[in-house]
Amino acid sequence: MSRRFGAALRAVANLRHVPTRTSAVLGIAFAQIRRSPRRTVLAVLAVALVVLSVTLLASLGVGVVDIGEDGLESANRGIWLSGDPVDPSASGTENPIVGAHDVTAELDERDDVSSASPIAMYEIYVGTDPGDLERTSGVGVPGTHSGFDFQRGGGYETDAEDAQEAMTSGEPTTEEVVLDPDTAERLGASPGDTVYLGTSRESAPEYEFTVVGTSSYYSQYLGSESTAVPLPDLLAVAGTTGTDRATFITADAADGHDRQTVAADLDETYPEYDVRASDEQIGAMLEERPLILASGVTLVGLAIVGGIILTVNLFALVASQQREELAALRAIGLSRWVLSGTIGAQGLIIGLLGGVVGLVSTPVLAAGLNRIVAETVGFERLLRTPLEVYAVGFALAAVVGTIVALVAGWRAGRYARIAHLEA
Amino acid sequence: MPAVCLEDVNHEYGSTGGRLRSGSDRTVTALRNVSLDVERGTIVGLEGPSGSGKSTILHAVAGLLVPTAGTVSVLGTDLTALSDRGRTRVRRGHVGIVFQRFHLLPSLSARANVALPLVQAGLSKSARRERASTLLTQVGLEDRITHLPGELSGGERQRVAIARALSTDPDVLVADEPTGELDTETGADVLELLTDVGRDRAVLIASHDAATLAVADRVVTLRDGTVVEDER
Repeated sequence: MSRRFGAALRAVANLRHVPTRTSAVLGIAFAQIRRSPRRTVLAVLAVALVVLSVTLLASLGVGVVDIGEDGLESANRGIWLSGDPVDPSASGTENPIVGAHDVTAELDERDDVSSASPIAMYEIYVGTDPGDLERTSGVGVPGTHSGFDFQRGGGYETDAEDAQEAMTSGEPTTEEVVLDPDTAERLGASPGDTVYLGTSRESAPEYEFTVVGTSSYYSQYLGSESTAVPLPDLLAVAGTTGTDRATFITADAADGHDRQTVAADLDETYPEYDVRASDEQIGAMLEERPLILASGVTLVGLAIVGGIILTVNLFALVASQQREELAALRAIGLSRWVLSGTIGAQGLIIGLLGGVVGLVSTPVLAAGLNRIVAETVGFERLLRTPLEVYAVGFALAAVVGTIVALVAGWRAGRYARIAHLEA
Repeated sequence: MPAVCLEDVNHEYGSTGGRLRSGSDRTVTALRNVSLDVERGTIVGLEGPSGSGKSTILHAVAGLLVPTAGTVSVLGTDLTALSDRGRTRVRRGHVGIVFQRFHLLPSLSARANVALPLVQAGLSKSARRERASTLLTQVGLEDRITHLPGELSGGERQRVAIARALSTDPDVLVADEPTGELDTETGADVLELLTDVGRDRAVLIASHDAATLAVADRVVTLRDGTVVEDER
């Protein structure tokens, strides 16, 4: 009975010592981390890299889905006719639909179509100074609408007479444009200002347009800065009013008509064109992504496995280097838990530090990458970092830290044996 | 009652545990019928060539190994009858160990190294620091308290190790080649310290070195695990 009481007392005494031992173990771990700055930095970087690879790829995934959804939702059109499957990255180079206004008129006359409108894309040069022009995407649309969400100014409308005149004379008639806000800022152009616009540096100075507003409507959709130009005017400056080319024609299904059915019907009527309903369009865009997604996931997987292996090995090595010391400390009476704790705690601290570094650099790197992407490809805010991305990153850091702590601590515990003494 | 008492101790390596060595019947006899006792206040030197069983005796006294046969008592407690945990408890409370190669943690200051055994005892940080500083002052390192092992000379490191061995105020001190890594002069200083702190403890020192053995009150000579001479 008294023995049992003694054991119970000792157990209580042991429990009482847990906080002091834990703080001592953490203190020793911190001391070891502090005294090996190079090793610490390497390990922290390894974990940070793991976290970053995951947060950045997750941000990219969120951004791609957001942009895809935004683009197609705000496009607000049910059915698309194009010569080839739409590839936004090739925008402005080809306008495969010939006689776009006629086709549009045909579509407009159908009972199952409420409205149709052609869209042409050209690479254009625009600038406030005829000698200093900037290349950008020109999107030719008959008129703007409320979906444009103008940042400044307003939109334009092409009336039928002006359109007809432009198409026959080959000269712009409406002469109004809506610039992308970033383009406008760089050009120093505000609503009311005059800009020069053409499909080549040579022709642009001949055409003067008035800026009526700024909007990123088509920029968002196409993924590059775009200037909206009245369609007949764009065809006129491009010199293609004769063939009346468009990149695609968008059509809305009339009330009471199913979009898919109308699209299928149009596909039969116009076998030379590719007809899609817009939700098929997102499908077509995503069809090309599985490979990219798979490689992304593989890269992240490799980063996680690589990071864990690197960090675990580093601390297993630390334990191995100190195996004689660990054995000696075990010999002088330190428990395996205390000894494992000193090495394991280092792993955990490194994991958390790496996590914090990874999370803190996530927005910085995401912003940097966004700037590069915006400048080279034209997508604005391709990487998006909602709170969930950080949560995933931090959870991962905690998991990595714990795994490193467990494995390294276990290894240290194995080394903390008398057999390694004076080996 | 002697502080340390070995009676008819035999030990064979490879006969217990059998950690998958090459063949289970390959055993090495380390100790044969060794009987030995050490009174408090006595320094016993263990002499003999490598493999004669000096370190095995020290490990048995420290409860780091259980001999194959015989009894090992520390302050009247038979270590061979105790569990691993029980032996650890006796060692933690009553036996201090000094190693040939010091075995200090390189990233911890002298004071933190000395305070390490007190972590297990659950002493508060301030109590650990105070005790460690006192011990370092006792071994003449009062101006090296916050130095790292790497900033100390070999002799200073061994003094830190001795201070660490004394941190729990043990009744028995075992030292395995405590001057093995030191030059003669430094070794002499360390030995002086050992004899000083060993005044009211039972001390066992294993060594090849004549100068080290000279500080012993009694030298026990071993050959092939057998006591061939005991200057009683």
